Parts: sequence; C-alpha cells; structure tokens
Amino acid sequence: MQFEYDIQGGDFSSAGKASSDIKKVLKQLNIDPQIVRRIAIALYEAEVNVVAHAYKGVMKVDLDAQKIKIVLEDEGPGIENIERAMQEGFSTASDEVRQMGFGAGMGLPNIKRNTDEMHLSSVLGEGTKLEMMVIF
Amino acid sequence: MKDRNYTHAIQIDTTKCIGCSHCMQVCPTQAIRIIEGHADIMPERCVDCGECYRVCPVKAIFVEDDGISAINIDAYRIALVPSIFIGQFPSEHTASEILDAIKQIGFDEVFEVEQAVDFMKKTYDAIADEADYSPRPIIGSFCPAIVRLIQVHYHSLVDQILQIKAPLDIAALYLRKSKAKENINPENIQIYYITPCAAKIVAAKAPVGEKVSPIYGTIDMKEVFNLVSKTLMERKDSKLSKQVANMSPDSVKWSIPGTEKQYFRGRSLAIDGMENVVEFLDRLESGRISGVDFLEMRACDQGCAGGILCPGNRFLTVERLEQREKKLASLITTTEPVQNELMEYAEEMEKVFKVDPVYPRDGLQLDDDLEIALQKMERIKKLNTYLPGFDCGACGAPTCRSLAEDIVKEKATISHCVFVQRVMEKNYNLSPDQAFLTIEKIWGKDRLKKYQHSNGKTES
Repeated sequence: MQFEYDIQGGDFSSAGKASSDIKKVLKQLNIDPQIVRRIAIALYEAEVNVVAHAYKGVMKVDLDAQKIKIVLEDEGPGIENIERAMQEGFSTASDEVRQMGFGAGMGLPNIKRNTDEMHLSSVLGEGTKLEMMVIF
Repeated sequence: MKDRNYTHAIQIDTTKCIGCSHCMQVCPTQAIRIIEGHADIMPERCVDCGECYRVCPVKAIFVEDDGISAINIDAYRIALVPSIFIGQFPSEHTASEILDAIKQIGFDEVFEVEQAVDFMKKTYDAIADEADYSPRPIIGSFCPAIVRLIQVHYHSLVDQILQIKAPLDIAALYLRKSKAKENINPENIQIYYITPCAAKIVAAKAPVGEKVSPIYGTIDMKEVFNLVSKTLMERKDSKLSKQVANMSPDSVKWSIPGTEKQYFRGRSLAIDGMENVVEFLDRLESGRISGVDFLEMRACDQGCAGGILCPGNRFLTVERLEQREKKLASLITTTEPVQNELMEYAEEMEKVFKVDPVYPRDGLQLDDDLEIALQKMERIKKLNTYLPGFDCGACGAPTCRSLAEDIVKEKATISHCVFVQRVMEKNYNLSPDQAFLTIEKIWGKDRLKKYQHSNGKTES
C-alpha cells in the first residue's frame, strides 16, 4: 500500500500531518505499538527536516506485511557534510527555527535510532534524499 | 496481552432514542453508529467518557449505577463522598452539614475521598524516584476514562500510565482495614461511592490493573444531591456548622485541574477535556513532546467538577473548592489540629497501593492477521476516494472514513452513503425503492413517513 504527501518548506504549523496520518493507518493493522511509535517519531523528524531546511519535498510511504519503506525527496540547499549532519547536536538551523523549538541537531540521529535502515544522500544546491525502513 | 473486559456504565435506552445522531458526532473514539433508527455503541471502543450523555436531547443515554435502592440495610454501610459533591452546594452549608445529610439517607458512616489524597501526595515523591528510568512523561491514572482512552487509542503509551490506585480506592481500603480493627465483620462492610461520572462506575465494576475493587456499589451523584438538598432546606438551624481540618487544604482540589501535577517532581502539565487530551496524546505519541515528566489528565473540562452526573455548574464548584481550601487553611492555624486518621494506616497502604500493568484493548484493529488487516486497509483507502469526504453522517457513521471501515468489516455497504446512492440510482445500479430501504435500515422504519404524507401518497 502506498501513500504520498507533499511537504511545504517553512510550514512548521503543518509539520506532523503526514506522520499522524500514517500512524493512524498503522494503529489499525495490529503492529507492535512500540514499532508504530518508532515509525511515527522517525516520520515526524523527517518531516520537520524538510520543513526547516528545504523549499519543498515529497514523502512516499510504501507499506506491506513485513516492513514500511519511506522515501523523502526535497528540493533545497542539500547537505554539505552528511557525516557531520548525523552527529548529535549538530545543526545548521537558523536562529528563527531554533526559537521555534526546532533545530537542536537531534533530528537525524533520532531517525537513525528509530529505524532499522536509513540512507541519506544529497546534492549540494539541489536537494536531499532520505530513505528509511522499519521491519515489523 | 490484551484487555478484553468491555464493561460499560453508559447505556442507550432504545425505546427513548430517536436516532438523532448528536451522540455519534461528539464521540471522541468514534464508537457510535446509527442502526435501525437508534444509536448503537461499540463496546470495544467506548471509554465511558460520557460526551454522548451530555448532548442527548431526549435523555435516551443513561448511566447505569447501582443506585440508592441497592443499599443493603443489614450491612455496615459507608458512603464515600468526593469533595466536588460538597462543592455542589453554596458555601453557607458547611462540609459537615452536607456529609451529615448524606448519612441520614441511610449510611452508618460517611467519608470524604480526598482524605486519601494526603497519602497520594506522600507517595508521589517515592514514585518519581522509582520511575526515574521509565519513559517519560508518566501519565496519571486518576481518571478512568483517560486510562481506557489510552488502552483503546494509544497502545504505545499504556506503559507510561502510573500504576497506582486512585484516591477513591485508597480511601475504601483504609476504611476496610480500620473497620476490621473496630471488630466490624469485613464481609458485612459495603462501601458506596457517590459518583460524578460513568467512568468511575466502570472503574468500580471492572477495574483495570486490579482484580476486584474495594467499592461495593456506586450511586449517581444527582440522586444523592436531590435528597441532600431536601434535608438542607428543611433544616433551619444547623448545629453542624463546626468544621474540622482533617486533611491538608489543597487536597480538596485534587480532582480538578492543577493540583495533582504540583506533587510530581519536574515538568508537569494539567490537561482537561476530552478533545484537549486527545490532541495532546496524539502529539506525544509522535514524539513531538519532549522533556515533560508528568501528565495530569481529566476527561472532563474542569476535571471532576465537570463530571456528567454533577448537578451544579462546574465553575461555581471549582470556586467553592477554592474557598473551602482557604477555610481549611485558616482552620489549621486557628484551631486544634485534627489528625487525618487515614495517615495512621500509611504504612499498610504502601503495601497495597500499586496496581498491575495496564494492557491495550482491541478497539481499532481491522484484523489480528497483519496480511488481512493490510488488505482491508487497502480497501478502506480505495473506498475513501469514492466517498465525498465531508463527514455528513447521513450514512449512520460519524465520518466517511469510519463508513469505509464499517464497509470492510461488513457492517455497512457503500450504498449507505447518500451521495454514492444518487450516482447508483442514476446509473440504474440501485432502484429508488432499494435506496429507500437502505435509508430506513439506518434511520429507522418510520423515519421517512412524514415526507410521504406531505406528498399525499400514503394515508394516515
């Protein structure tokens, strides 16, 4: 089963919509509640990343009886140093974003912690692609 | 492990129900459908919050308590009274006057539940220490509707529910223990709780995390209110105006928002009202809330002062409890202090105040088998693209989404949607007579009768 969501850069008030939508679906499938929670957290963090850093993005979710695969592709500045971006506490978020309570540099590490597989690729000046998977 | 005890206090009298669907629209767990002209509650989804009871225009939704008539005159009868009951009356009536009026209804003894709060406060610090390694925030277990909401809707949060008894149970256990010392046969003690809501009735009948409740029966607060009001009116000169402070002053406010949270170390929030609770728990479950240690949650706006069986105005009740707190505070400084006798049993209570873990309920699952559930979900997704999406409720389900769920559960068909029906009629997939029968199946046999009259097609 597939789902697709458009995400607008800068729209912090709507961040979390895709995540809560997918969470609702997962809850009805008799999947371990802690796994549902991990997915919801990873999705939310990923959504916020697009909102905070990119101009716009698309989230594609693919779900079967064994796993959930999520791909987020955005148009944005891209990530200069992926290894550094993955470090806890590292963030390039602007002061405005930080004032809203985002940009603590925990997003990507949090996604890694809550997923079974995660892959991040980026082209500077073009955008970022985040792929993640959770096995049920 | 799953919890499959679906006992409920909220019931529908189908002889009174007119199938207006007001209740269906407000149910926070989408547990109500309209079938054959009246509302029907899905037991696995209902959390006894009572939102439906508030909006029913014909009082077809009722709360099943044990009632005053259930009181056994041969037993040693104790009434457990929450402080909000005292807050139903103007401040010129003292607490002792009101409690005495309750006693006259036919009890051997009357006890104010909030005396047990002094014990709760004492244990909160210890709990906070113990819970240091468990996931945060800890969610208070005071309100039974909240516990059940989490069981049905927020499976990943059940482990965060505080595993302790409510003050009501602590009070009842204390009474049982102390009466045993007075040589009253424990078998013969019957404790009745004067309840402000349906959820507390269910907690007494089918407790979560406990095998049996120490509460013997429950009585609707309105019933007691009527009797006490009469007594207070008839009694002109009260000799019972003497007040004692047998508990700490702010304990009387434990059931209304903002007091309990102050006793849990760290960052804590008080959230009241079903909609607010749902919104917050949604956020919490998605990891959007961090750094919060404790959640005090009440299903009703203004906590128990807004309970569905409270006859008075919730805001007045809150104000009266605030006045009573001040009064108790001044009594402590001006009079001889009176010991809260429950605290003498604190050590014994510490052995029994914990409850077992809380387990999730099945209310939302489409199927136990993930593969089948997924197929059903795929169908729901497809059905959703056909349905109009503005949740008119004419199909007898609260939202288009819930109609889609009912269809895959084989509890409804796509022709229940009035919009799809029109299209089917136009395409000759459905005859007008069939469409008519479908509407009658949802909204009741005679529901469309008056329209036929005005067309002059049927005789009256």
